[in-house]
Amino acid sequence: MTPRRQFFAILFLGLAFLIVFRLLEPTQYQIGVMMRCMILMIVTIGLNILIGHAGLVSLGQAALYGLGSYVAAWFSLRQGVAFLPAIALGIVASGLFGAILAYPTVRVRGVYLAVITIAFGLVFQNILVEWLPVTGGTQGLIGIPRGEIFGVKLIRPIYFWIVAGCLIAAFILQYNIIYSRYGSAMRGTAQSENAARALGINIAGTRTLAFVLSASLAGLAGGLYTFLNLFVNYETFTFIHSVGFLLMVILGGIGTLLGPIIGTSILVYIVEILQDLKEWQILAYGLLLAVIMFVLPKGVVGSSAALIQRLTTKSRARKTHSWPNRSVPLHGLLDTGALTGQIAIRTQGLTLRFGGLTAVDEVNLDVISGTVHAIIGPNGAGKSSVLNQISGFYVPTSGTIEFFGEATTGLPCHTLARRGIARTFQNTELFGQMSVLENVLIGFYGHYQSTLFETLLRLPRFVREQKNFLEQAMQLLDFVGLSEYMEEEARNLPFGHQRRLEIARALALRPRLLLLDEPAAGLTHGEIEDLKALIRLLTDHGITVLLVEHHVEMVMTISDHVTVLDYGKVIASGTAAEVQCNPLVIEAYFGTGMLKVGGAAAAAKGA
Amino acid sequence: MGEILQYFLTGLSLGGIYALVALGFYIMWEATRAANFTHGDIYMLGAVLAVVLVELGMPLVVGAAFAIAISALTGALIERVLVRPFNTDANAIGWMLTTIAVGIVLESATTLTYGPLGRSLPSPLAENAIRLGGAGFYIQELLLPIAAIGCMFALEAFYRRTTLGRAMRAVSFNRVTAGLMGINVNQIALYAYGLAAAIGALAGILIAPVIQAVPTMGALIGLKAFGVAIVAGISNARGVVIVGISYGIIEKFIEGYISTGARNAIGFTLMILVLLAFPQGLFGRKEVTKV
Repeated sequence: MTPRRQFFAILFLGLAFLIVFRLLEPTQYQIGVMMRCMILMIVTIGLNILIGHAGLVSLGQAALYGLGSYVAAWFSLRQGVAFLPAIALGIVASGLFGAILAYPTVRVRGVYLAVITIAFGLVFQNILVEWLPVTGGTQGLIGIPRGEIFGVKLIRPIYFWIVAGCLIAAFILQYNIIYSRYGSAMRGTAQSENAARALGINIAGTRTLAFVLSASLAGLAGGLYTFLNLFVNYETFTFIHSVGFLLMVILGGIGTLLGPIIGTSILVYIVEILQDLKEWQILAYGLLLAVIMFVLPKGVVGSSAALIQRLTTKSRARKTHSWPNRSVPLHGLLDTGALTGQIAIRTQGLTLRFGGLTAVDEVNLDVISGTVHAIIGPNGAGKSSVLNQISGFYVPTSGTIEFFGEATTGLPCHTLARRGIARTFQNTELFGQMSVLENVLIGFYGHYQSTLFETLLRLPRFVREQKNFLEQAMQLLDFVGLSEYMEEEARNLPFGHQRRLEIARALALRPRLLLLDEPAAGLTHGEIEDLKALIRLLTDHGITVLLVEHHVEMVMTISDHVTVLDYGKVIASGTAAEVQCNPLVIEAYFGTGMLKVGGAAAAAKGA
Repeated sequence: MGEILQYFLTGLSLGGIYALVALGFYIMWEATRAANFTHGDIYMLGAVLAVVLVELGMPLVVGAAFAIAISALTGALIERVLVRPFNTDANAIGWMLTTIAVGIVLESATTLTYGPLGRSLPSPLAENAIRLGGAGFYIQELLLPIAAIGCMFALEAFYRRTTLGRAMRAVSFNRVTAGLMGINVNQIALYAYGLAAAIGALAGILIAPVIQAVPTMGALIGLKAFGVAIVAGISNARGVVIVGISYGIIEKFIEGYISTGARNAIGFTLMILVLLAFPQGLFGRKEVTKV
């Protein structure tokens, strides 16, 4: 089932379930439990975006939930603010703190982030208990007036549908965000930061978005909880509740559409049952947590989806087509209008030092557009460092870089990528757990005109763009001969195919300059011939190629210009033929010891 | 003056606890890039077991030794059963949840069997308070920072001088390569968790004569110690002990000069701020990634 069908099926079944539930005339208690459950689902949907897609673990989600709740409660109780604005204020407060919490993720992830979020949660709880005049201390805020919209009192039967509406909105938002370029960007930054940056994705921005979205949903849930319960107390928002949210997401299945709904329902149900166990309740909860992790490490939805896939997928032979596929018209796909014969890249006095080591030393380089320019040199000569500076991964210690006449020194890589500098990596950096198609699609990230708002609401421009880029991505896959592997996970491709995919993804950026870092390494002879054909085809279409390569035969046959580096310095520069004869180059590669005729034989005998 | 000395001395003792528990996090982290998230409950287990064993008639030293041994086995068991299967790739977070689960189970099982109330471990070093310049303290309290520093030096020597210690360091630098060099990576992890648990239990036993052993004593200490280890950069024993002891002292001064209620809020805020300024921790080594 395609995600789109899953989405509509879940939406329909969910709504039908709620209607049937109401028709069965449940008790007040049951309605209350159901409403609480729906509110918790809103929190876990947000957490699922954060953990499942952006790969960031928050163990302070209960605090963000509590913040929304307390803010709504305080404004409603102390300032007389109405229902809707009070909820909105809660969302804003939580979203704001989400953005603050996202700040460290620019630099730290994993367990460091976990500690920061735990600490945030504990500070929040501590403040709730101690800041008596505002939070009411351990007693909390009591006697919050029932909400009202346009004069209609939100008594339970009405409020039930308001909560349900919010849940449905959250669910739609989840779908719209994870199946958009923003969702792809989140998964991309989680799987390979370097590749994401090279594709024009702003990592800090993407992580902040994920955090703000998940915090805002927590804030919304908090506000809804306030007007359901009509009193708030710190005990609902402790560390153990944050753990509970995490458990719900994992239990359902991280990163799945339905996971948060299932996980939350099961855990709420379990906790209801465990209440009968009195003092054994916590012990049983802990044991159950461990058992669930053992039995369903991928969660209910994840594990069953994997099972269904294993049962239904028949292995079929897939054909790899030859590449480059010349029948694919490149004029619509690539930026073929670039003028040739201009200076695409000019570096002046480019220097890079790592501590005392000078990796690149006063390098002056002119790369002419529409040509193949190769940088060669022994290992450690500074070739990749030059490439990394041009693409913005390293900031030069001194010197300047110009890209088609514009100064680009020190600009971040995502900006450079959007201006038309694409690259591949020495150790192929694909998004291993994404499909081959999504790997290429994410390359279009910077070409979208539609805003976040248009994306969230799926407005016409977004739909049009999405369709358009999907077609182009398929064409690019066709171009590199991988269209039959479209749905495969990228990590399952053989090495040569991964290279092709990486190049297709770089081409999706519609680059004016393509940087290839040792593209021939590990390829067979035949594959290298294909690669050469591809490079020529690209330059024929006006794209500039800057190549770092050890494969001398390849460099000498396709390069218009060769620059030789040794110990970070340019030792020769010119056409392939000129460079080959240069004594400095011969020395750098083979040393200076001149073997006399007969000396070699003597040496061989001695050995 | 007496006040300052008092805060300093009790802070030293509290900081010794943080340092010892954080050392455990450091040892586990080095071996597996994961940890028993509720290592604080091992600290509690050490204290509770020692109290129970002494109540059963064992001499203090023997009871303590048994408590440490049982805790070490528990730690190793946690590694084998709850960490290893859930720490299969670099971004795995399953181990966080399974170890949180075991912490919940340990704490509630202790409450059900041992009871919720605190009991104290009798110790000759906690009978008579010593008065010094207006401050009062037990010799027992000073054992904690001493043990922390002792463990730190012992650990450093162990890591540098012994084959097993060197193997542990090799594993911490690169698991795969260490495995290729013939080091049994899984066994190393098992030993590391055992060692970490032994040190955690020792901390619990040393403080039990002064504060009484209760089932809830470990949870918050564990979280704080984890924070301490991370703030220290979780990459060398000295850093962990320095930050641990300092954090204890800072907490006591906050309690003394601001308020007890503000202790955790200020302490954790400090942690967050330090991590924002030093994302790799205060003594952490920067991990260089090659593009």
